[in-house]
Amino acid sequence: MPYLGSEETLKELKRALSNSNVQADRLRYRNVVLRVIRLMTQGLDMSSLFMEMVKASASVDIVQKKLVYLYMCTYAGLKPDLALLAINTLRKDCADPNPMVRGLALRNMCNLRMPGITEYIQQPVLAGLRDKASYVRRVAVLGCTKMQNLQPEAEIDGTVVNELYGMLRDPDPVVMVNCLRALEEMLKAEGGVVINKPIAHHLLNRLKELDSWAQSETLAFLLRYRPRDEAELFDILNLLDGHLQSSHSAVAAATLRLFLHLADAHPAVQADALSRARGPLLAACASRSRELCFAGLCHVQCILRSVPGQYAAHYKRFFCSYSEPGYIRLRKMDILVELVNDENVALVLEELRAYCTDVLPELAQAAIFAIGRIGRMYSERCLGILTDLLGLRQEHITSAVVQTFRDLVWLCPQCAASVCQAIIGCEENIQDSEGKQALIWLLGAHGDKIASAPYVLEDYIDSLKTELSSLVKLELLTATVRLFLSRPAEIQDMLGRLLHYCIEEESDMCVRDRALLYYRLLHCGVDETRRIMGGPISDPSLGVITGHPDEPVNNWVAHFNTLELLFTRGIGTALPSKGGSDSMALSIAGCPLVVGETGEDPLHTSTEDGPDFSLSLDPPLSPESFEQHWLRLDVSHTGTMVFPGSDCAPETLQAALQLVQIQALAFSRSDSLPWKAYLYSKSSGTLILAELLHSAPPHLQVTVKQVPRDECALQGFITVLETALQALRKEAT
Amino acid sequence: MSASAVFVLDLKGKVLICRNYKGDVNMAEIDHFYPLLMQHEEEGLLCPALTHGNVHFLWIKHSNLYLVATTNKNSNAALVYAFLYKLVGVFTEYFKELEEESIQDNFVVVYELLDELMDFGFPQTTDSQILQEYITQEGNKLEVAKTKVPTTVTNAVSWRSEGIKYKKNEVFIDVIESINVLVNANGSVMSSDIVGSIKLKTMLSGMPELRLGLNDRVLFSLTGRDKGKSVAMEDVKFHQCVRLSRFENDRTISFIPPDGESELMSYRINTQVKPLIWIESVIEKFSHSRVEIMVKAKGQFKKQSVANNVEIKVPVPSDADSPKFKTSTGHAKYVPEKNVVLWTIKSFPGGKEFLMRAHFGLPSVENDEKEAKPPITVNFEIPYFTVSGIQVRYMKIIEKSGYQALPWVRYITQSGDYQLRTNS
Repeated sequence: MPYLGSEETLKELKRALSNSNVQADRLRYRNVVLRVIRLMTQGLDMSSLFMEMVKASASVDIVQKKLVYLYMCTYAGLKPDLALLAINTLRKDCADPNPMVRGLALRNMCNLRMPGITEYIQQPVLAGLRDKASYVRRVAVLGCTKMQNLQPEAEIDGTVVNELYGMLRDPDPVVMVNCLRALEEMLKAEGGVVINKPIAHHLLNRLKELDSWAQSETLAFLLRYRPRDEAELFDILNLLDGHLQSSHSAVAAATLRLFLHLADAHPAVQADALSRARGPLLAACASRSRELCFAGLCHVQCILRSVPGQYAAHYKRFFCSYSEPGYIRLRKMDILVELVNDENVALVLEELRAYCTDVLPELAQAAIFAIGRIGRMYSERCLGILTDLLGLRQEHITSAVVQTFRDLVWLCPQCAASVCQAIIGCEENIQDSEGKQALIWLLGAHGDKIASAPYVLEDYIDSLKTELSSLVKLELLTATVRLFLSRPAEIQDMLGRLLHYCIEEESDMCVRDRALLYYRLLHCGVDETRRIMGGPISDPSLGVITGHPDEPVNNWVAHFNTLELLFTRGIGTALPSKGGSDSMALSIAGCPLVVGETGEDPLHTSTEDGPDFSLSLDPPLSPESFEQHWLRLDVSHTGTMVFPGSDCAPETLQAALQLVQIQALAFSRSDSLPWKAYLYSKSSGTLILAELLHSAPPHLQVTVKQVPRDECALQGFITVLETALQALRKEAT
Repeated sequence: MSASAVFVLDLKGKVLICRNYKGDVNMAEIDHFYPLLMQHEEEGLLCPALTHGNVHFLWIKHSNLYLVATTNKNSNAALVYAFLYKLVGVFTEYFKELEEESIQDNFVVVYELLDELMDFGFPQTTDSQILQEYITQEGNKLEVAKTKVPTTVTNAVSWRSEGIKYKKNEVFIDVIESINVLVNANGSVMSSDIVGSIKLKTMLSGMPELRLGLNDRVLFSLTGRDKGKSVAMEDVKFHQCVRLSRFENDRTISFIPPDGESELMSYRINTQVKPLIWIESVIEKFSHSRVEIMVKAKGQFKKQSVANNVEIKVPVPSDADSPKFKTSTGHAKYVPEKNVVLWTIKSFPGGKEFLMRAHFGLPSVENDEKEAKPPITVNFEIPYFTVSGIQVRYMKIIEKSGYQALPWVRYITQSGDYQLRTNS
């Protein structure tokens, strides 16, 4: 350590430590040791005093002993040969009549962490296991693991393992839990400590004696155990019941996890447990410590994935306070969105509205996005609030509002008219690229309803040279071509300028390629361009998916009460408002070209089946009427098909099916089993409904219903669906 | 659980003291913690769990210290935080205040405590009352260094030692309720609840058995008596000394108390309470010239009660100057470092109404930065009164030797998180 005079200090300390006068005076001796430790704590290298310090350990003064042991543990790795000198003192201390000294010596001996020490510590550790003082036994049990850790390649001593299993019956609860912890570490390679029926029941019966740390950990260990039959299962659940409402939120959470895990075949029991654990979890969310509050919120958010309504009555608990840090407020907003119902929507929106003007732009934007998510259900109220916010003329607020508008329009087409009204003039207050993209998308998709749309686009085109984001440029290209189709006279000139600039002067490859693509497309004629560019400008069915289905509890129970949960944000944000619909629009706009290039157009293959067969999606079918039809109709066809693979993203599937004019109304998460999807399509006056069910690989059960019956259309639909799924499978593999 | 190591850092990220429990995470990893923290803070994405490579940092902040636990496992985060707070609790009981200076002044005790609190990443003895029996600060002064493991470490009653003696046997019971209120800008109460706690100061000899009777609604309905006011408590938490099984069976709160001061139980009551001190405010800001503030405070509690040490903090713009005040009672002053007007009223009787007017100048050149809109906060304390109406009906004290002991009860209501948003 570069420290002025440290050489001198070391020498002086060395002299003092070996001075017999100092050694005789216990207080002086300890003060010298103290100085060494203080310097060590400050980061100075004190390892050269090792010899002298080892000698200092042979003292009756227990505080001095502790300090010296600490010193030895810190430097033992650097001076293994000298550390061996200390072993004798330590071993002698292990036989001290005072249990405190025995425990201390044993603990530090095991902490030395240097090669070759195991042969010296083995005997004291084994003796420690049988010590009459539980303080020493606690240390010795963990010592077994430390020993194992020092020589990971050595074989595990079977007798030690057996002894530790036996010590699970130790009268001292901490010794018992330490045994579990030790065995878990030692038997890592074999999958950890084995919990069989007698052990499980023993642990359950002693749960009450343990402190809250030990309880939480023991409950986690019990996850290993599977009861043999129902009767035993319910006995265990009865034992655990009281702990569900434990006053320690950590214990309550651990119990809940075990409960959910054990009752994974009994959804009703799980639901009951979730509602009974509500109290402690809410208490955790109101915890004085921010971190515990944060952890509590993450758990509540996780539970809401399965039981959305669970905390609705307590929504006021999730209102943010001025002094809370951002991470808590973000979580609370996410939770508030999930809890909205007819009764509380007005108050929740009023509260969220107050957050929209927060000084932190991140929080303000998050609040706006939250209002947007509520807007999928209560669009009118939210549109009002969002439109008011535009009046504030703040850049980050306007940007977030416009992004929210874009997503709302995509999901709820009925909002389009009022959004088109609202966004007039807001281009002045948008500077960031996300906001620009959203605005340009809106102008492209709904420009026919906005009188000033061409002029706004023109401003963007004219300032293209100073635009840095290529995403904005891409969006601008698409929007201009789209608007050109509906308002050719006004756009033609600026589209020409835009394409010219992007092809001739643009350095970004993506932008140039896209411009060239549109250029060639326009060469094919306006009708062809319209056919390809005229994709849908809204997709109400996506709203069914984003208003996600209740997820089974078993999906997340494995992560419950662990660190992982703190890093995952909720479902609502997993489908972020940013770019979600954009990528969809791009993939739909881009798809026909891909098909054209590979020459595998499923539409054409299907036409071979019958000269007058074609599928269409107009008029769209609402999820409710789908459900009515589905329940009313008889099955007209069942069969199996290949499953496109679980790694096929839902978006891909949706886009692919849409390409062949089949609409997917709803489907389960891609990794869940059984996996289900509901589809519909129309063909010359008949409505075809289908259910895909995937319960065991590799096959997919297809059930088709139809009204009115039309054998030709049915066959056609099945062929198209099969081709599409096969194509997807090829792509996936 | 399983924390690999625990660090105490100062506000600049320098390690003050650390303890490597498990040895499976490189101690140098901590060097990544502070830059990571700063980076997240800049992005506004601060989170109590940070990750670098395969190492997770779980951290809390206490006064001018960061307490950090490292782990490379998917351990139970809530438990790790709880342990870090336990550390804070234990250190605070030892040093009165936990801060950089107290860590540096007492590093020997800190090392000793770290050694006993956790072994190999697992919490061991965490009860500060027990720890205090065998790790003492006086230990440094050599003569009274206790070296025996106290029996309590292994005792059935781990929170109380045997052979305690007092000349006069007394128990002091404090029932303290704090109210949390959030009122939004247009004057409607958004949320309110009561957090109560019952604290004991026990000065009793031997191993006494105590039984506490409250006007608990569940107990009243169990025993079939429904006369008199009762209180429905939620989220009741007890000190480990209370026999939970008995409470679950027949709602009896029976226990052998720890010696000295301790928190026996805490509870929450989730009823709509009328804000005890109601604030109406008008804050008018005339850009480039002045701010005018009018605050009306009204005591909405019984006439017999008096709120003491009422402090009303009203936010003002950070560039305000030349304050002028006029109050109908109490004293107002400007606290520029916090950008608030602090209006203190020593005693505030129930049913009374007071007024404060403040006038500030504003600079003609406006501050460009947007300012947060902090709420008005209120602090107060009302003795001899509980909002919920909770009462200690009896405290029975039974000890083998049969001595007579006196229980003393005191009630206090105070403000918790008491916020009223403004619309300025």
